[in-house]
Amino acid sequence: MAADPIHQFRIVEFFPVAHIGNTEIAFTNSALFMFAAVIIITAFLVIGTAKKSLVPSRLQSAAELSYEFVATTVRSTAGSEGMRFFPFVFTLFMFILTVNFIGLIPFTFTVTSHIIVTAALAITVFLTVLLYGLYRHGFHFFNLFIPKGVPIAILPLIVFIEVLSFVSRPISHSVRLFANMLAGHITLQVFAGFIILMGSAMGAIGWIGGILPFGMIVILMALETLVAFLQAYVFAILTCIYLNDAIHPGH
Amino acid sequence: MSTELVAGVIVGAGIGWLIDRWLGISPWGLIVFLLLGFAAGVLNVMRAAGVVREQSDRLKPK
Repeated sequence: MAADPIHQFRIVEFFPVAHIGNTEIAFTNSALFMFAAVIIITAFLVIGTAKKSLVPSRLQSAAELSYEFVATTVRSTAGSEGMRFFPFVFTLFMFILTVNFIGLIPFTFTVTSHIIVTAALAITVFLTVLLYGLYRHGFHFFNLFIPKGVPIAILPLIVFIEVLSFVSRPISHSVRLFANMLAGHITLQVFAGFIILMGSAMGAIGWIGGILPFGMIVILMALETLVAFLQAYVFAILTCIYLNDAIHPGH
Repeated sequence: MSTELVAGVIVGAGIGWLIDRWLGISPWGLIVFLLLGFAAGVLNVMRAAGVVREQSDRLKPK
């Protein structure tokens, strides 16, 4: 059926790139839109900051705004020491934001609606926190899991629960972004499908009645635009909070 | 918030299942780690709600 709400998430392979063992690595529509996002971000920042004029043009203010926005987020959550991770957080934020916004355009593919993409990003954050924390604090980093004032008898159990809580972070981190994008796009598609269903079932009256779900799509589209931005922001701010664990500014 | 709870349970179940496979003690690993994972999930939710202090607070000097 034309209005299959899952169809939009299909991965299409364009051409094979490499082989790892028996697994073929292909260039897919997902990879295409990732490349598109990277090119758009690069062009936006390079062209935006090319002139370096004192009175910024519209594009330059947008580029400066994106820097200021992420820099404020990093400073307020991870402290000024967290600014060494600014390039990392900025890359994550811009990539997710651009990819989400591209996905809002009809007939495009939403990269973040696949959990493998968000999981890869979340695991990168998790490993960065773990490795940097160990490098910075050594085994003192594992004090993260040891609460104070707990009787020695139940301490191993508590430590185990704390470790599980730490390990479950990348899952909630990745599922939050993925589920929001997936659910939003399915909802849009389902409401769009209602128009076609009503039109084909009831003829002219159905097409006129289709205005109702169409109005719903317009409203949902506004909501999805908000969600696209908000989820990119939430992903970035959670990254900062997790990085804060590894940095631990001692104030 | 709900993903926090589910994430804890999934991690617990996953570890329990792996331990069962390695040690061949099915279903005991799954039972124990599913419960521990649930506890971790509840802890996640309480942290997200701000009821319990963050783990990073323990690294700060007194």
